[in-house]
Amino acid sequence: MTDKAAIRFQGARVVYPNGAVGLAGVDLDIKPGEFVVVVGSSGAGKSTLLRSVNGLTPLTSGSITVGGQPVPKKEGRELRRLRAGVGMIFQDFRITRRLSVMTNVLVGRVAHVPGWRAMLNLWPAADREIAFRALERVSIADKAWVRAGDLSGGQQQRVGIARALAQEPAIILADEPVASLDPVTTHQIMRDLVRINQELGITTLVNLHFLDLARRYGQRIIGLKAGELVYDGTADSVTQADFKNIYGRDPDAGDLLDESEAS
Amino acid sequence: MNEASRAAPGRPLRPARNWTLIIAAVGAVSLMTWWSARGIGFSLVELACNLPGGRRLLVESWPPDWSFFPRLLGPLLETLQIAVVGTVIGGILAIPIAVLAARNLTPGFLVWFVDRNFMNILRTLPDLFWAMLFAAAVGFGPIAGALALTVFTIAVISKLWSESLEAIDMAVPEAVRAAGGSWLAMLQFGAIPQALPHYVSYALYAFELNVRASMILGLVGAGGIGMVLETQRSTFEYPRVTLIVLSVLVLVLIIEKISESIRRRLV
Amino acid sequence: MTVRTTLAPAAGMGWATQVTLFIAVLFLVCAWAIDLTPAALANLPRQMATVLSFFYPADLNYGATRVWPALLESIQIAWMGTIIAAMLSLPLALLGARTLFPRIARLVKLISATARAFPEILLAIYFVPIVGLGAFAGALAIGISSVGMLTKLGSEVVESIDMGPVEAVQAAGGSRLLALRYAVVPQVLPEIVAHWLFRFELNIRASAVLGVVGAGGVGGVLLNTLRYRHFEKAAAVLLLTILVVLIIDMVSGAIRRRLLR
Ligand SMILES: Nc1ncnc2c1ncn2[C@@H]1O[C@H](COP(=O)(O)OP(=O)(O)OP(=O)(O)O)[C@@H](O)[C@H]1O
Ligand SMILES: [Mg+2]
Repeated sequence: MTDKAAIRFQGARVVYPNGAVGLAGVDLDIKPGEFVVVVGSSGAGKSTLLRSVNGLTPLTSGSITVGGQPVPKKEGRELRRLRAGVGMIFQDFRITRRLSVMTNVLVGRVAHVPGWRAMLNLWPAADREIAFRALERVSIADKAWVRAGDLSGGQQQRVGIARALAQEPAIILADEPVASLDPVTTHQIMRDLVRINQELGITTLVNLHFLDLARRYGQRIIGLKAGELVYDGTADSVTQADFKNIYGRDPDAGDLLDESEAS
Repeated sequence: MNEASRAAPGRPLRPARNWTLIIAAVGAVSLMTWWSARGIGFSLVELACNLPGGRRLLVESWPPDWSFFPRLLGPLLETLQIAVVGTVIGGILAIPIAVLAARNLTPGFLVWFVDRNFMNILRTLPDLFWAMLFAAAVGFGPIAGALALTVFTIAVISKLWSESLEAIDMAVPEAVRAAGGSWLAMLQFGAIPQALPHYVSYALYAFELNVRASMILGLVGAGGIGMVLETQRSTFEYPRVTLIVLSVLVLVLIIEKISESIRRRLV
Repeated sequence: MTVRTTLAPAAGMGWATQVTLFIAVLFLVCAWAIDLTPAALANLPRQMATVLSFFYPADLNYGATRVWPALLESIQIAWMGTIIAAMLSLPLALLGARTLFPRIARLVKLISATARAFPEILLAIYFVPIVGLGAFAGALAIGISSVGMLTKLGSEVVESIDMGPVEAVQAAGGSRLLALRYAVVPQVLPEIVAHWLFRFELNIRASAVLGVVGAGGVGGVLLNTLRYRHFEKAAAVLLLTILVVLIIDMVSGAIRRRLLR
């Protein structure tokens, strides 16, 4: 389990077909159970970094290993097996609004049950149990049979988290999970993620836009700038100068969720 | 998990499915399909009897009889003429019918009610039924076809355009009314200009449909290329039938491409 | 918006007048070509009134014995045609979506455009000799020509969906097929079924016509009654057809509105 949760980037480089550089050769070691926050200005390559871990964005060169296994560059059985152990949470939730909350969470089990069962929506009792536990962990088990689209934004993101948890993953990737939520919900979701990381020991990578959130919830902070790793340190040791280096300018109120925390 | 705040909120039971609705829907669809299949299945016997002859006919229908083509030019042209006449007359008549059927513009409930139902009834009958009716009334020939397409055009445009009219911004029409303008002035200066692009777009769409329809009107004697098709079909001259079908398709596609490119520029 | 729309006619007047003039001339030329003279037009109302007067009273006995069975057959043809088309077009609609299958989509779109180009009645002209006079030929013709439109509309629905959930299923380790099952189909099914119903409404009209070329249904009955000038019988055909189509439109429309709510 712990071994499966380590991620190692070696010269990881992503160049998009249009020539845009997503990652410009990143070397990075993430230890099992770490809670890592990735910061950087828009276009710095945060999403690319996360998406390369589960192969949604294939590397152009270099390599990434997850639990010692290299991430396959082509879609296929190998890559699906790797993804089964890596949960992903998205800024825009990406749940199917017309399906029930329960079905959305069971989607997290697709790679763990025989294909025909998943196809026919016939889930083994054990998998239903896992899905329910995942919902309980984010406190929305009471909504299990509600149409997912009828929930509030924060609740929908919890469904997204529960779906990731239902995978019983070794790693969770969260790409700006709170960017479309209000401040109160933002803190609740961030606390959920930290708690899950602590209770289950799931290695967690979170992209964040707000500096104060990064400092408050991150153990380790990674700074990206134009696809390059420009900062790597603990949340306590990060300084104003470091942020200036990452963002290329002094942080202002717009970079903070709660302006009151700026001073 | 042992914090009081998150202590088991209780797992809700999966709500029972609405089995009545599911069974009713599945049952209705299966029943309809079974009933229809049985009704149609009777012709499967004929299928077996006809297959050998039919295959021969199909083989014969290729290649098309190209030498017949010069005799198609006149009827093809007539077909387009029918479509133009039907679209223009129908397009003009559709304007008042659409206006009276638009809830926000109609002068009174009774007018609206009568007009709307008139519109719906027009829409129930297919183009060829109108063609048969007019052929019976005014005799075989292109005039019957043009009249049939007139009715068909009214049905198409008035329905679509009355919906566009209902969606317009009522600020200007109401201002015209408030300034003492008459109902007609309100239409002319406030309402119609807003929905004019839609009108043109629907008129072009109706023209496309009419060109398509005009090709087959002749099957019931209402003029155009369809009359040639009908004589060749009933004498089983399939190489010629193929030629006619091909030229019809090409003409329809050309008209559609032109009309589509105009419509795209409008919207 | 308001300013633009009120100004537009004035600014584009020259162009609009030219087009109107062109259409007017074209119309006059065409009307003249098909002998639609003012005299013929003036004569029209009287002619129509005379013929229409023959339609009364409708021969309801004929309606019950001869028209009703033919109408039912038209409904059967339309239903089977729609079922055939729905079954074939569902997978095609998915395959024809650029966003899901960029390579196959072009081919599927080409096939569906070709199927769409053929009016049912032209297809029926070929099916009648192959499978014999009657309803089966009609259902095949309707089915095939509907596949084209349903595939096109279906692909458009699929292309308009939120692709986020599709990626989410794949990110959880699901195959493309499972992504279709849990992210695409639930998003598109109501719209697609609504399109099926709408096509059924159109197919009722189409199948009513097919009898003209011997492919079953009520069209042949109308053609015969008019040919032999049995106008009261024709009136029964028209009345019953209008009634049945109105009812089917109403029911189908109500279901469609519920689906899309
Ligand atoms: N699908 C794509 N095709 C082409 N270029 C892309 C694509 N996705 C990202 N890029 C480019 O790659 C670079 C890194 O993008 P990425 O999305 O990783 O940044 P980000 O840090 O997540 O930004 P944001 O904070 O705006 O989400 C940018 O220059 C971007 O324009
Ligand atoms: Mg991003």
